[in-house]
Amino acid sequence: MNTFFLTELVTPDPNVRIILPELVVAAAGIIVMLYDSFFPKDRVTSGIISLVGLAVSAFLLVGLWSSEPLGSTSWNGMIAHDNLRLGFSIVFLIVTAMTVLISTVWVEREDVPVGEYNALLLFATFGMMLMASGNDLVVIFLGLETLSIATYVMAGLRRGDLKSNESAMKYFILGSFASAFLLYGMALIYGATGSTNLTVIAEKVVNPNFPALLLIGGAMMVVGFGFKVAAAPFHVWTPDVYEGAPAPVTGFMAAGPKAAAFASFIRVFVLGFPFIAGVAASNYLHETWMTVLAVMAMLSMTVGNVAAIMQNNVKRMLAYSSIAHAGYALVGFLGAGAANRGSSQDAAIASVAFYMLTYAVTNLGAFAVISLLAQKNDRRSDFEDFNGIGFKSPVLSFTLSLFMLSLLGLPLTAGFMGKILVFRPALEAGSTLLVVLVIVAVINTAISAYYYLRMIVVMFFKERVTEWVEPKMPIGLAVALLVAVVGVLYLGLFAGGVIEKFSQSRSGYEAQLK
Amino acid sequence: MSSFNIMDYAPIGIMFLVAMGFAVSQLLVTQLIGPRKRTATKLMPYECGKDPVGGARDRFSVKFYTVAVIFLLFDIEVLFMIPFAVAFKSLLGLEQLSGVAYGTIALIEILVFISTLVIGYIYVWRKGTFDWGLQARAEARAEAKSQAVKSRRERKRPLPVKTASPAEA
Repeated sequence: MNTFFLTELVTPDPNVRIILPELVVAAAGIIVMLYDSFFPKDRVTSGIISLVGLAVSAFLLVGLWSSEPLGSTSWNGMIAHDNLRLGFSIVFLIVTAMTVLISTVWVEREDVPVGEYNALLLFATFGMMLMASGNDLVVIFLGLETLSIATYVMAGLRRGDLKSNESAMKYFILGSFASAFLLYGMALIYGATGSTNLTVIAEKVVNPNFPALLLIGGAMMVVGFGFKVAAAPFHVWTPDVYEGAPAPVTGFMAAGPKAAAFASFIRVFVLGFPFIAGVAASNYLHETWMTVLAVMAMLSMTVGNVAAIMQNNVKRMLAYSSIAHAGYALVGFLGAGAANRGSSQDAAIASVAFYMLTYAVTNLGAFAVISLLAQKNDRRSDFEDFNGIGFKSPVLSFTLSLFMLSLLGLPLTAGFMGKILVFRPALEAGSTLLVVLVIVAVINTAISAYYYLRMIVVMFFKERVTEWVEPKMPIGLAVALLVAVVGVLYLGLFAGGVIEKFSQSRSGYEAQLK
Repeated sequence: MSSFNIMDYAPIGIMFLVAMGFAVSQLLVTQLIGPRKRTATKLMPYECGKDPVGGARDRFSVKFYTVAVIFLLFDIEVLFMIPFAVAFKSLLGLEQLSGVAYGTIALIEILVFISTLVIGYIYVWRKGTFDWGLQARAEARAEAKSQAVKSRRERKRPLPVKTASPAEA
């Protein structure tokens, strides 16, 4: 009996220090949950605990950035510590902190369970961080489910609102369906390579057990991840879910889970299914997924931007805009896929992380203003409701205009730097397909000007027929708005420092591959 | 590595055959030798002894769902602890790993697992999931109180004067 265990036992490799940021977030979530169950009437403290937990986690993460050598792993390679993980985790922490701040408005105004909401947010963040750091298909799936289940509940947090119910139900059913696709894909990949560890998979794709299974598995994972990042043609759920969910949750969903899905998407495809010169099996796989994703990127950008023009509801418009932005981020993703392993690939991956950061800050800022203006149950979220408020509430309308310009990608704003950085690796790769992709992206940016500028036109140049009462701004939301404005301008003007931090190359992936 | 041998899966095949054979043989035997007396009650759809009244799309109290979820939670706890208990005995005898015995690591891990579940338990307890009786009693008491207040108010109020009604005026 003992000998059996000796041979079968895997040596535990607990490197707790590496996942300390994740653990802190999970512990903060549990504390918030318990605190809320003991003091259900307290509507302020749970938010403060969440913010403290997120700050501690961010502090530890920044510490890890310099203290822990990049490329180290823990739990026998299940958790990877590299640029991809660090960059995206910082994005998630910022997103959640801003969402907690934005939610103060809605939590004061409406009868929602605040403590549970904050706990769910923290659990979702834990899931997102695991998705970015997981170097094993199983860990990625666990992170994805932790994230998704929390988000399904958050979408339906307005129990009495039919639209919110519809949103949660649709998201739940379609999301589970997409998860099933992803899981099946993972199972087939496991069948083809004999491992769930991405480092082993990357070595094994050279000589897979069943090449056909590898392709089918990859295709199914494209469906699953494509759903989560809301890329066409798997985007159909997005407008309905984003419109029905409460505005702060919508902002969170567009910024956080999308970035998390991109993190694992990149890890599985760029690092797990690499291009290896002179090997037919892996190159066929690489070429196939590059082509499929290029088509998906073009479709996402075109469908998102063209459909956004026709929307009358601002939340719906931003939902289509988020589909389009998934397309832009895919351009950088493909640039990373085409780049040679090493510093150029690191830079391309960092550009996607940076893009998600700019999009998150801008988008959350826009949703902060919309949550404030939309009033209870988001009744006032049509374009008409924003008529002529420009000079009546100058602070809100000027900040919202700034965010619209940043989403459009005007120079001096964060959106511009983000777009430049994701398009560059695609152009440098020197493949015709990617050049065409960038041209499509630029044309689409021009199309998107119509609906982003329409928002500004509506606010400043339309007459208001109904009375306008400016809503009172809570402190939390004011702080979030300030962070967003400063973030948009800072990332637009001084992006260099951040992007350098995101892509500091210590040849992390080579070390990890050994 | 071990080579693939289809016969290793033979027990599963036998299991399938036995399961199917059991179901089929039971149906066949009752068909062949069972007496048939059709009564109105027997021909009703079977619903655990209750009369099937009304549609199935009824509204159920959310309590049933919470109980089901809690059941899942603690069911899995027990399921998870059985393999731990089996393996723990063998782990105790194993040599140490960088100063810490395997058994200690395993014990700490299962304690972390159980404490997570205890936190969940405290949470559902605080949320009042177990207070079915108390909740119902509190509701009944509140209703009785409101009834009493109402009836007292009615007693104090003078009875409506009959001549005031428009029909007699």
